[in-house]
Amino acid sequence: MLNEILSIKNLAGEEIKKACNLKDIQDIRIKYLGKKGVLTGRMKSLGSISKEDRPEYGRTLNESKNFIEDLLNRQEEQFRSTELNQSIQTQRIDVTVPGCFVPFGHLHPVTQTLDEITAIFISLGFNVEEGPEIELDFYNFEALNMPRDHPARDMQDTFYINDDVVLRTHTSPVQVRVMEKNIPPLRVIAPGKVYRCDADVSHIPMFHQLEGFMVDKDIRMTDLKGMLELFVHSVFGIDTSLRFRPSFFPFTEPSAEIDISCVICKGTGCNVCKGTGWIEILGAGMINPRVLEMSGYDPDLYTGFAFGLGIERVAMLKYGIDDIRLFPENDKRFLEQF
Amino acid sequence: MKASYNWLKEFVDFNLPHRELAHTLTMAGFEVEAIEEVEDDIIFDIGVTPNRPDCLSIIGIAREISAVLDLPLKDVNAEIRKQEGGGPLIEIKAPDLCLRYSSRTITGVKPGPSPEWLVIRLEAHDIRSTSNIVDITNYVLLETGQPLHAFDLDRLAGNKIVVNRAGNENEFHTLDNEKRTLNKDTLLIWDDEKPVAIAGVMGGLNSEVSESTRNILLESAFFNPVSVRRTSKFINLKTESSYRFERGVDMIGVKSALDRAACMIADIAGGKVSHITDIYPDPYTPRKLCVKYKKINSVIGIDIDESFVENVLTGLGFKIKREGDGIVVTPPSFRQDIQRDVDIIEEVVRLYGYDRIPSTLPAVQMISAPVHKTQEAIKSIKNAMVKSGFSEAINYSFLNPEIMDKLNIPPEDRRRKTVFIKNPLRKEEEAMRTTLIPALLNNVSLNLNRGAKTLRLFEVSRVFLPSGQKLPDEVIQMCAIYHKDMSASIWDDKHDGFYDLKGVLENLFSELGIRDYSFIQEATSCEPYLHPGKSCAITVNGEKTGSLGTLHPSVSTAFDISGNINILELYDIEKIQKAVSPTPEFVSLPRYPYVERDLAIVVSKDITVGQAKETITGIDSDIIEAVSLFDIYTGKPVPDNKKSLAFSIRYRASDRTLTDSEVDVLHSGILRRLEENLKAELRT
Ligand SMILES: [Zn+2]
Repeated sequence: MLNEILSIKNLAGEEIKKACNLKDIQDIRIKYLGKKGVLTGRMKSLGSISKEDRPEYGRTLNESKNFIEDLLNRQEEQFRSTELNQSIQTQRIDVTVPGCFVPFGHLHPVTQTLDEITAIFISLGFNVEEGPEIELDFYNFEALNMPRDHPARDMQDTFYINDDVVLRTHTSPVQVRVMEKNIPPLRVIAPGKVYRCDADVSHIPMFHQLEGFMVDKDIRMTDLKGMLELFVHSVFGIDTSLRFRPSFFPFTEPSAEIDISCVICKGTGCNVCKGTGWIEILGAGMINPRVLEMSGYDPDLYTGFAFGLGIERVAMLKYGIDDIRLFPENDKRFLEQF
Repeated sequence: MKASYNWLKEFVDFNLPHRELAHTLTMAGFEVEAIEEVEDDIIFDIGVTPNRPDCLSIIGIAREISAVLDLPLKDVNAEIRKQEGGGPLIEIKAPDLCLRYSSRTITGVKPGPSPEWLVIRLEAHDIRSTSNIVDITNYVLLETGQPLHAFDLDRLAGNKIVVNRAGNENEFHTLDNEKRTLNKDTLLIWDDEKPVAIAGVMGGLNSEVSESTRNILLESAFFNPVSVRRTSKFINLKTESSYRFERGVDMIGVKSALDRAACMIADIAGGKVSHITDIYPDPYTPRKLCVKYKKINSVIGIDIDESFVENVLTGLGFKIKREGDGIVVTPPSFRQDIQRDVDIIEEVVRLYGYDRIPSTLPAVQMISAPVHKTQEAIKSIKNAMVKSGFSEAINYSFLNPEIMDKLNIPPEDRRRKTVFIKNPLRKEEEAMRTTLIPALLNNVSLNLNRGAKTLRLFEVSRVFLPSGQKLPDEVIQMCAIYHKDMSASIWDDKHDGFYDLKGVLENLFSELGIRDYSFIQEATSCEPYLHPGKSCAITVNGEKTGSLGTLHPSVSTAFDISGNINILELYDIEKIQKAVSPTPEFVSLPRYPYVERDLAIVVSKDITVGQAKETITGIDSDIIEAVSLFDIYTGKPVPDNKKSLAFSIRYRASDRTLTDSEVDVLHSGILRRLEENLKAELRT
């Protein structure tokens, strides 16, 4: 009896060794261990074995069953991994097929430049304020010390809606509107669209400006210099030099124009800087006491500075754009470069 | 203003090469914009700011050079050796517009060509030589900044000058042979009978100096700047004279310029110079300004030496008297721009050199800088759009009102009531836009013409709508436009771009934290430029805030663009910003498992997914967690007039594990509801 079991065990071992695939393993498992399997039959007839032989017989049976099961499992695992390896070998995708996605869009270079500049001033504690683009002549000119019939009005070609209303020619009217409603200390920037009745290769009738101003006790011209230096260095790099020249704006006194060393040629002279090595970038000055007075501030108590810059101009220098007329065109091939 | 290097040198004996001189002028506030080398001379093109009419002259520029370099300034030779005969008859009938009129006659002149040096000098300064007498008046204008005019004395009726308004005289022939229309306040120079010049702007043909002229009357005057400016604008004529008069000439210099010209004419064209007639009823009174040294230093931010201040101001022609801890300054008559102490401070720091003052950072009091909510919302919107594949366009705010027809905008629509610009650059840019749509459609057209296929563009800008007030309402809108190229991708992406754009908006709202929104489709189109069957209104918190839809085919045709074009519009970003929810509130994650069941129904084609979904969620139960559509099918075996909708419904209770039987009951309840309300059938 025991020998019979042992020979079944050996036979099963032989068959498992000869098995070629998972199907064979499955068949062998059924043949020996299935419900009607050879070993299962022997297990069922355990009751007919004499009481004294039963323990040894039972143990041998169990051992054989475990042996076969173990062998089957190991062989099965073997086949599975081989089969997986084979199927992996045949599965191959073309990784050069383009990815499936909606490409990100791009912010307009003017927005990107404006955002960068705005962030610099916000980090210095400036507030952002806005004003209307269609503005009263009063705020655009008169309150900025440019009365009617003042030749300084020729500095800006103005679009008129009627005698009292204009398209703002600069963001400076926001300065007056803010001062009218607030008391110092003030640290404000006012970004936005401005309009000039002028269009040629280097002018577009609508562009963007950023006005910045500060009013407090003891604000000095040296502070204006320091603040603009800090700003220029943040945008164009610490190596950029600045040049302050006297100039004239009716709403500042003293007034200055600020040049930076040409970012294209690094000051050696090129087309962009017309060979001078310098590029004009900012207009600035100490707020004219008359403007402070018109807003109800005491010019003996408060002083302030203001500056304004053209965003398209900064963007052109930053990205090396050589034609201002590209900005309003919105050609996809232009927009997607930034 | 052009200025010759050699001419400047006649007044200041500087020893600087021209490039250094240009730099010196630029750094003193007179930007040398161009340098032109001509035969034996160098011509600077100098930008003179409107506050400095005194520097619209060689002497003015020379004075600046002398002050910066601390060198003496030479005088103009204006001494008339011999005066013969009385001065001319002059009468000022408009003393408010003519504050001084000085005149001499010169008799027996010989008009002819100017000497070569004079011709060369004028031409280098962009003035064409005509004849010696006129050339000399122009030469003195350049040299002193004082405009002069020479009349043919024999053509002046009564040999007399009257300064008066035009009154009823409404036309005048200027010497450039143009007929000029006048208004009643135009200041004219008359003789005894007729007008002979437009004061300060241009002389008349009827009294012009010609080859046959023998006797002249020379005019040097101070006309009211505002009057000259208005006249020049009104008749649309800008001359070297009007440019200087409207900025203000030197009241005191009027006489010396007259004498300088008279001398030169006598020297070059011969003739006898008469005595002067100088009508100057209200002579110039100098201003006195007090400046404290402390103030100079506190505005600039450094200590400037008192002797430097005094030296510089003296060099510029200011008279100075020390008084207490400051100075009393009397600016010269040609410096009308000096009105208060800061103007003097500017002069000091200008000549000290802006480049020499140091940089400091202001010592400030900390203040709270509140976030600009609209700006923040705009930023979020722009960033969400960029992440969804849209690029930002920025278009001109101008609009061609005729485009409203192309957009099918009805006549009574608010967007037709545009704000007009009085002086547009082009007829097509004569109004301010009331909608962002046309500009973006033009962007699409331009890009398609240049070979672009898929286009995703958006713009966030202001539109200008009528308000009934002086200023219009400026409303910030967002508009996105999607031109979908159906053949562009190898990936399965053949559905209508409408749904892409709808998805973009839903993502945008999710980013902004806007949850209460819906898409309302009415029987008629929500916007006239959208396809009535393929568009809807967008509501936020129940209020209409935008539109979404396919471009109306007739608008496509009008703009000459084709393809699958969808438009998303948000009418008022500030309003939407107010619906933005603040910080999100955390909800605990569910603790019990969910059960998911699918439900496929067949309904009539005109039943919308939204109706079906509402019918499902409308059942009285709190265990429906989510309903999601996963299939829409038309075609066999579904009957022609019907479609199949397949939903996956997720059930979950927050306080227990659901049993199969309770889900079964609810699920079949939902089916019954769909059968009853929508005549749906279970798809088998
Ligand atoms: Zn350069």
